[in-house]
Amino acid sequence: MNHEQGDGLTTDIDTTSLESATETALAEEAIRVAKAAETVPRADQPLIFDVGKLTVYYGTFRAVKDVDMDIRQNQITALIGPSGCGKSTVLRCFNRMNDLIETARVEGKVEYHGVDLYGERVDPVEVRRRIGMVFQKPNPFPKSIYENIVYGPKIAGWKGNYDDLVEETLTKAALWDEVKDKLKESGMALSGGQQQRLCIARAIATSPDVVLMDEPCSSLDPIATLKIEELMLELKKDYTIVIVTHNMQQAARISDQTAFFSVRVDEQGQRTGYLVEYSQTDEIFTSPGQKLTEDYITGRFG
Amino acid sequence: MTDVTDTNLHFHQELESLEHDVLSMVDRAEQMVEMAVEAVCIGDVALAAQVIKLDDDIDRIHLDVHGHWTKLMARFQPLGSDLRKMTVLLQLNQTFERMGDQCVNIAKVTRLNEGLPRVERMVEQIREMGDLVRPMIRTASEAYVRHDLEEARLLPDMDSPVDRLNANMYKEIVAVGSNPQMLEWASKILMVARALERIGDQAVDFAEQTAYLITGARTEFIKPGLNRSADDSPI
Amino acid sequence: MSAHAEALSATELVRQSIEGRRLSPVDTLVAFTLLFTLLSSVVILITLLADTIAAAMPVFQSRGLSFVTDSLSPSAEEAGIWQGIMGSLALIGFVIVVAFPLGVAAAVYLEEYASDNRVTRFIGANIRNLAGVPSIVYGILGLFLFVEIFMGGVFGAEGGIGGRNVIAGGLTLAVLVLPIMIITTAEALRAVPRGLRDASLAVGATRWETIRHHILPVAFPAILTGSVLTIARAFGESAALLLAGAQLSLYFSVANDASFVDLVSNQPYTALPIIIYNFARQPQAGFVSLTAAAIVVLLVMLLTVNAAAVLARDRFERRYR
Repeated sequence: MNHEQGDGLTTDIDTTSLESATETALAEEAIRVAKAAETVPRADQPLIFDVGKLTVYYGTFRAVKDVDMDIRQNQITALIGPSGCGKSTVLRCFNRMNDLIETARVEGKVEYHGVDLYGERVDPVEVRRRIGMVFQKPNPFPKSIYENIVYGPKIAGWKGNYDDLVEETLTKAALWDEVKDKLKESGMALSGGQQQRLCIARAIATSPDVVLMDEPCSSLDPIATLKIEELMLELKKDYTIVIVTHNMQQAARISDQTAFFSVRVDEQGQRTGYLVEYSQTDEIFTSPGQKLTEDYITGRFG
Repeated sequence: MTDVTDTNLHFHQELESLEHDVLSMVDRAEQMVEMAVEAVCIGDVALAAQVIKLDDDIDRIHLDVHGHWTKLMARFQPLGSDLRKMTVLLQLNQTFERMGDQCVNIAKVTRLNEGLPRVERMVEQIREMGDLVRPMIRTASEAYVRHDLEEARLLPDMDSPVDRLNANMYKEIVAVGSNPQMLEWASKILMVARALERIGDQAVDFAEQTAYLITGARTEFIKPGLNRSADDSPI
Repeated sequence: MSAHAEALSATELVRQSIEGRRLSPVDTLVAFTLLFTLLSSVVILITLLADTIAAAMPVFQSRGLSFVTDSLSPSAEEAGIWQGIMGSLALIGFVIVVAFPLGVAAAVYLEEYASDNRVTRFIGANIRNLAGVPSIVYGILGLFLFVEIFMGGVFGAEGGIGGRNVIAGGLTLAVLVLPIMIITTAEALRAVPRGLRDASLAVGATRWETIRHHILPVAFPAILTGSVLTIARAFGESAALLLAGAQLSLYFSVANDASFVDLVSNQPYTALPIIIYNFARQPQAGFVSLTAAAIVVLLVMLLTVNAAAVLARDRFERRYR
């Protein structure tokens, strides 16, 4: 080792010939472009969602345009970006919650395990059993904790031991110890952080393989937030998680992949969201490929 | 390009100030190299003492920068190029402090060699090394300030002659003969050569950090032709 | 020395600006006026009540509960309000059986199923208008529609009272209160937080399951309140009923051995507010206190219904809180 620092500098780029400065500059530019266009960050995990040219309209308003992304199993994918860039809209496409908005129209391809989610024969109710969702403001049912958990499985016709199910899901949601003695009490009597964990337990009670989270921590205090972040890191062993978050640091802490969305304003003044960059979280937050991304994460945005 | 407002202005201002402090260290270091080489070549002990004084400045700034850096990290959790710059500045803080220490080593040799007869050949070679190392520091600084990747890439080539001169110092000792005082002087000068070679490496490191800052990719600058591990043989 | 003096004057300045502030006179005047208005209304109400009760006391003192159980009669000493109570209860029964399910169902459809377009908004606006239509119009509707049906012999109601039976009256009332029922139920449904629907649907419930298991239970207390309003409205209705065939006469008799079907389709009926109206226009002096007594009974019945609803709502709310 020539250097006294010994900081283990590694070579990421295989730029062999340093005599030709132009060559290496070009090579590096090529790598940067490829990174930005990368939509298959880790090719070894099975593909859960395959999204192609996804465009969503609310009436005549085009909320988001031409989103291409892959979501792979057992990973946490974060969707970040300024307000109004369509992140929540995209998230809601994954479990057909956009159906609830009358004027919503979804174009493009959203495939789940290879099946077109918007196919004619697809039942959105079944979809929502397999793809759970946790919302920004904790919204437990005004029923007991026990009933909150068993509701989903019950209406799905699940025949099994409900007591075991309740214990299992509450344990997975890191809530069991805190509520095991008060399962018959109302879910609304819990603190904000506990309510949100209850909502997470409720979402996984129907045994989904995906959990979607729309800014799950934005109404919680820092400690409750950290608890849920820890929980997500545990949950990703069994589930695939897609999370929309306003908090860049949160995305940096917990996600494996990050998708950065922004807004384009067209000549008519209409604002449409689009995907700027989608790659490994480490890359996006240390050296992003797109200037727009770099500007956003360093706080320089206009 | 639409107008971009900096909503992170306070952090960026502080970052600039931090950078300014770090760069002030390398300016001093460059100065110290010139003075130390001169001092050891002509045996000027007073000049050597000035070098040591300048190092106190560097040490003080080094400490301040460290504290400032830590506070910025805690407060702002920077990302992207801001994060890379912070990483680089912390590294450079260390590197420049070491440059200063190497100059102090050279100054100390001046004191140790006081009164001893000089070997002119070796003095010339030390001067030559000094004349090679100072532009290296200058070039690396320019490359950093101007964000110039091409310029940063020049450093490894500039380092090769320095390494060669250092390696050849051995042979010069053999040519000294048997005069014990000259031998003592010469063996101390070996340390000076070693110190200058180290400073050269630190300048290359400076350029590597610059390259990382610009590209976001870590590369180790590979010097064409030379087997690096052989250079590191202890003297 | 001067700095100290300056600091002192700064304190003084602050003190002068924040101390000694009195309430703005306008504020006090407004508060007083509003309080006065409230008290006046309450005083008027209490006066009316006291007056009525005072006037009614002689009747209860002399006849006690027989006033409630006696039949109508042109004689002030014998006249009772039994048919009125029975009639009113029967009519309320109709309202509950017909208007409540229809009203809730219509509101559920409008709020949960119908898309928000010009047609539905038009329908909604019209329902609101219907709630404001004078009740006499509903009476005319009742006369020309429901009475006609029964006159046409649907239940074999030829002759006799010619269709002016309690079914026709009940249906008329039901149609009258339907808009109110729809509106209050719709309000109750709208007040259910959106998050509850999202949560239920996200867990894989169908729309109907969401409504049945989550939305209706949460909206129920408010719907109940709306129902009470509806019942109170129906209880006090007289104009529409008069047109639709309620008997005004004091010579009122119902065949004692009539079957239930016969009772509701062929027999005459009346309601408490109508009896009150009738008593009030009798010239004999004895009817004055009878009127007051009938009013008191009506009020008691209303209060009972109200209290029952409040109790029911409380119990329901406690279960779901």
